[in-house]
Amino acid sequence: MNPDRSHVPRLRMAGIAVVAVALFASLFARLYDLQVLGADSYQVQAEANRVREVQLPAPRGRILDRNGKVVVDNRVAVVVALERASFDALSEERQADLLNRLSWDLAANGHSISPDQMRLRVADQRYSRYAPVPLAIDVPESLKIYFEERAADYPAVVVERTALRAYPYGPLAAHILGYVGKINDAELAAQVGQTAKPYTLNDEIGKSGVEHTYEPWLRGTPGLRRIEVDAEGNPIRVISEQPPQAGDDLVLSIDVDLQALAEQKVQQGLADARARPNRDGSRNAGTRGAAVVMDPNNGQLLAMASYPSFDPNVFVDGVSDEEWAFLNDPANGTPLNNWAVQGMWAPGSTYKLFVGYAALMAGVMSPDTVFVDRGGYAIPGCTGAKCYRTNAGGSSYGRVTISRAITVSSDAYFYNVGAQFWLQRDRFGGEDGMQNLLRPWGIGDRTGVALTDESAGRVPTKAWKLDFCTKLDCDTGWRTGDNVNMAIGQGDVLVTPLQLATGYATFANGGTRYVPQVALRAEGYQSGQVSQQFDPQVAQQVDLPPEIREPLLQGLVGVPRSGTAVRAFAGFPLDDFPIAAKTGTAQVDNKADTAVFTAFGPAPAPRYQVSVFLEESGFGGTAAAPVARALFDVLSGVRPLQPAGPDGLPQGGADALAQDTGGAYD
Amino acid sequence: MARLMSRSTLEFDRVPARERALRPLGGRNRRRDESWFRDRAPAAWKHVDVVLVSCVAAVSVLGALMILSSTRGTDPDAYDTSFLRRQVLFIAAGVVGMVLITLVDYRRLRDFAWLPYVAALVSLVLVVAVGEEVRGTQAWFQIGAFQLQPAEFAKVAVILAVASLLAGREVPLRARWVAAALVLISVPVALIMLQPDLGTALVFVAIALGMLLMAGARARHIVVLVAVGVVGVVGVLNSDLLEDYQRDRLANFLQPNDPDDIADLQSSEYNSDQSLAAIASGSINGKGLFDGTQTRLGFVPEQHTDFIFTALGEELGFVGCATALALFAIICVRIWRTAQIAQDRLGMLICIGVLSMLVFQIFQNIGMTMGIMPITGITLPFMSYGGSSAIASWLAIGLVLNVHMRRFG
Repeated sequence: MNPDRSHVPRLRMAGIAVVAVALFASLFARLYDLQVLGADSYQVQAEANRVREVQLPAPRGRILDRNGKVVVDNRVAVVVALERASFDALSEERQADLLNRLSWDLAANGHSISPDQMRLRVADQRYSRYAPVPLAIDVPESLKIYFEERAADYPAVVVERTALRAYPYGPLAAHILGYVGKINDAELAAQVGQTAKPYTLNDEIGKSGVEHTYEPWLRGTPGLRRIEVDAEGNPIRVISEQPPQAGDDLVLSIDVDLQALAEQKVQQGLADARARPNRDGSRNAGTRGAAVVMDPNNGQLLAMASYPSFDPNVFVDGVSDEEWAFLNDPANGTPLNNWAVQGMWAPGSTYKLFVGYAALMAGVMSPDTVFVDRGGYAIPGCTGAKCYRTNAGGSSYGRVTISRAITVSSDAYFYNVGAQFWLQRDRFGGEDGMQNLLRPWGIGDRTGVALTDESAGRVPTKAWKLDFCTKLDCDTGWRTGDNVNMAIGQGDVLVTPLQLATGYATFANGGTRYVPQVALRAEGYQSGQVSQQFDPQVAQQVDLPPEIREPLLQGLVGVPRSGTAVRAFAGFPLDDFPIAAKTGTAQVDNKADTAVFTAFGPAPAPRYQVSVFLEESGFGGTAAAPVARALFDVLSGVRPLQPAGPDGLPQGGADALAQDTGGAYD
Repeated sequence: MARLMSRSTLEFDRVPARERALRPLGGRNRRRDESWFRDRAPAAWKHVDVVLVSCVAAVSVLGALMILSSTRGTDPDAYDTSFLRRQVLFIAAGVVGMVLITLVDYRRLRDFAWLPYVAALVSLVLVVAVGEEVRGTQAWFQIGAFQLQPAEFAKVAVILAVASLLAGREVPLRARWVAAALVLISVPVALIMLQPDLGTALVFVAIALGMLLMAGARARHIVVLVAVGVVGVVGVLNSDLLEDYQRDRLANFLQPNDPDDIADLQSSEYNSDQSLAAIASGSINGKGLFDGTQTRLGFVPEQHTDFIFTALGEELGFVGCATALALFAIICVRIWRTAQIAQDRLGMLICIGVLSMLVFQIFQNIGMTMGIMPITGITLPFMSYGGSSAIASWLAIGLVLNVHMRRFG
C-alpha cells in the first residue's frame, strides 16, 4: 500500500474546498440577508397570507324627531343564509335537492327565490367566503324554529338575526326619512378607499332622504373578525373579534305631530279641491301637493309634507318590481318623489313679494308711488294679440301703492314694474336688472337642504331664453312681455315649495337666508349624548333696509285681513297672532291652476313660515290657504296639536278645512 | 518494509494532532469489548468518524422535528404524527444500511461495484416503464404504503461504480477512461431525464465533475466537458423533455414577476414567494417550534420534502438555520478531510463523489428555498421527508465512514 498521499491532487482538493466554502458562504449570506436584514416586510407578507378579515354588520342609528320621538327604529329580523363551505362540501345531487326544498319552504313563507338564483348568489365571489350568504331576510320566526329542528335535513342552512328598519309611524315623513337598500355596484365603487366604515356587498346603504344624506352618521361601524386560514383558504380559527358599533341616532328638526297634521291637510286640501268645481265650471284634478313649515329664524324645517306618499316598509326587505314601478309612475303622482324639494311650479302671485322688493331696490317704484289699476295693462310698444293684459278675474283696484298692490294682488301694478325694468333697463340694472334682484332670495338656486334630488327652480333671463328656445325651436327673443309675465310669477318662472318657503322665511327674519335644516344633531346610539351638532348655516345675507321691508310687510299682513285670503282666515285671531301671507294662483296650459299659499307669523317677529302648493287645485286663496290656516290654528295655539298615530295621521280624526267657495282672484 | 516504515514515519509526524481532532470519543470506544468486530476488521472500529456521524444524526433529528411541524396539521385534538413515525423508520433503516456498508472493506466492495450499478439501471428502466407518475414526473415505485425512488439509490451506486472504474487508472486520465466514466454516468442520467427529473440529473453532473477532477482528468478534458454540459442543458431546456411547469420555474427564476401577488396560486412563482416569506418572516429567533404560520397552515407546497428548510427558517429563524448550515458544513469538511487522508485513490474518489453530491444538493436545495437558485425537485439530505433520500444519504455516509475507518490499512 502506498502510504504517502501522492494520489491526492492537493491543488484540486484545495479547489474543491474553495468551491464548497464559496457555496456555503453564499447560502449563509443570503440567510443573513433574508432573516436578519430584511425580515420586516416578509413578516407582513406572511401575516397577510394567513389572516382574512370578515366584517360584522352594525345596526344603523335610529332617527328621532325634534322632541325625541322615534321615527325610524331597528327591529330584529330572521335571516335564512347558506354557509358556503358546508354547501360546497355537499354532493351535486344533495345541493340540488337542498336548494329545491329551500325554495319551496321560503316561497311558502312569502319569499320567492329560485334554486338558480340561490346558486348565483352563493357563487358570487363578492360575498365574503367566511360569512354565510343571505337567501331570505325577515322570514317568520316559525321558519327559524322549523329549520333549527330539522338541521340534519338542511345542511349548510344557517338561521341568523339581523337588524331591520322599523317605522313606528308608518308612512309618516317617508320623503324626509328616505329608505335604505342593498348597496349597488356603483355605490360600492364610490366607497372604495373609505376605511372608517367600510362597506361590503351585503351591506345596506341609505338610498334617499336623510337615510342617504346622513349616511356617515347613521351607519354603524362594522365589527371585524380576524380569521386564520390555511393555504387553501379554509378557516382554522378566530384570531380576534372587534364587536360592531351601532351608528349614531339622528335628531331631526321635524316635529312628527306637526308633520302628521301637514300631511293630512295637504291630502285633504287636494281632495277638497277635486270635489269642488271651479268658477268656470272646470274640474280640478290635483294629485300632487306639498307643504313646508319652517322656523324663519334658523331655517329649521318643522314639517315638510309631500303628497302622494309611500310606505317605507316596502323597502325593508327589498322592494318588488311592481311596487317600484308603482312608486315611480307619474300617473300616480310619482309617490317616491319628494315634491316639496323636487316639484317645480310657477309661483304665481306669491312671486310679487320678490318683484316688489326688486322694484323698490332698483327705484322703479318708491313705497309711496301710486299706480292706478284700471283692471289691465297695455304693454308699451307692443303690437299684436297679447299686448293688453288684464288682472285675474278682470277686477280693477284703482289707486294702489305697493302695500295695497300686494294685499289685493294687483296684477296691473306688477305688470308695469316688469315692463319698466325692461323698457328702462339702462336705468334699472341692465337686461337682467329684475332677475339680479330676485336671486338673493334663493330663487333659481338649490337651497342646499340635506335631502336628495333637490330641484333648482328657474329664473328666466334673456340669455336663458336664447339658449332654451334655440334647442326647442321657440321664439328666442326676449320681449317686454317676458318681463311682464315674470313680474306676476308666470311665464317661465319655476320655484320649488321649499325655495318659496326659504325666500319668505328670509324676508320674515329681516334678510338672513338660511340653508333649510332638516337635522339638528347626531347622538350616540340610544345614549342621547350629542356626537355632532348641526348648526344653522347662513347661505346669504339679503340687503333689506327697513324702509323697503316695512311697506312690503304691510302688504302681506293685509292679505288675511283685507286681501285675497280673508275667507280662509275668517275667525282666526289675527290681532293676537298677526299673519303675513300671500296667495298665488299659477296658470298652467291645459290644466287647472296651481294653488299656492305662503305665510309667516306672528308678524313682526315670526316664528313659523308655512308654504303650500296644491297642483291643479284652483285658487290659492280657496284651495291652498285653508291648508295653511289649519296649520296656523295649531301653531298659534288656537287648537291643540294632536299626537301622530301609528298610521302617520293625527289621532282623533280630521277637522274639515275652512271653505272658501267664493274664491279670491290673485 | 521500507514502504511501511516511511508510512509510519509520515504518520508519526502527523497523526497525534490529527487523531485528537478526529476522534474525540476514541477513548470510550476502546473501553468496549470489540472482539466480535476484531475478527473481521481489526482496529477499524477504533477509527470511526464520530463527529461525522454525530452531525448527520443531529441534522436528521432537526429534520424529523421540522417534518412533524409541517405535517401535523391544524387540528390540536388530532395531530398527524404519521409522517414523523415513518421518517424515524427511514432514519433507522438508513442507520442500519450505513452500519452494514461499513462492515465490508470498501476495497472489497469494489469487486461487487457492478452489482448495485446494474440494479440501479434495471430499476431506472422499470420506473420509466411501470412507475407511478406524481406531478408529471415518473420517478417512484409504489411498494405497499411506501414509495421507492430508484434515482436516489442510483446516485450512491454510480459513485461506487465510477470510483471503482477510475481508481486504478494512470494519472493523468487517458481520454478513453474519461469517456468510459462518462458512459457510466450518462446512462442513468439519460434514464432519469426520461422521467423527467432535471434536478436529480444535475446531481449526477456534479458527481461526475467532482470525481473526474479528482481522478486526474486533464484540465482540457474537463473544460470541454463543462462546455458540452452547458450546451446540453440549454438543449434540454429548449427540447420537449421538460414538463411545462419545470420550464416555467426556471424561466421564472431568470425573470421574476411582480412580487406583490404572493398568494397567486396560479403563478409558478408561488412556491418561491411563499418560501421566501416563510424563511424571512422567521427573523433571527424564529416564530418558535410549531408556531410558524406559513408552515402550520401549509402555505409552502412540499414543505415537508423539498422545502423543509422553509419550516426550519420560519420556526427556528436565523439561529436554527445557521446551526443547520454549520452542521452541514462540518459534515462536508469531515468528508473532505476523509478524502484527503484516505488510504487509496478508491477511497478518495468515493469521498469526493459523496462530497460532490451533498454539496450540490445542499446548495441547490437551500438556495432554491431562499430564491438564489431555480426550483428543481431535489431533497435536502437527511432533513427532507422521504425514505429513498434518507436511506441513500445514510448509505453514502456509510461509504465515507468505511473509507475513513480503514485509512490506516
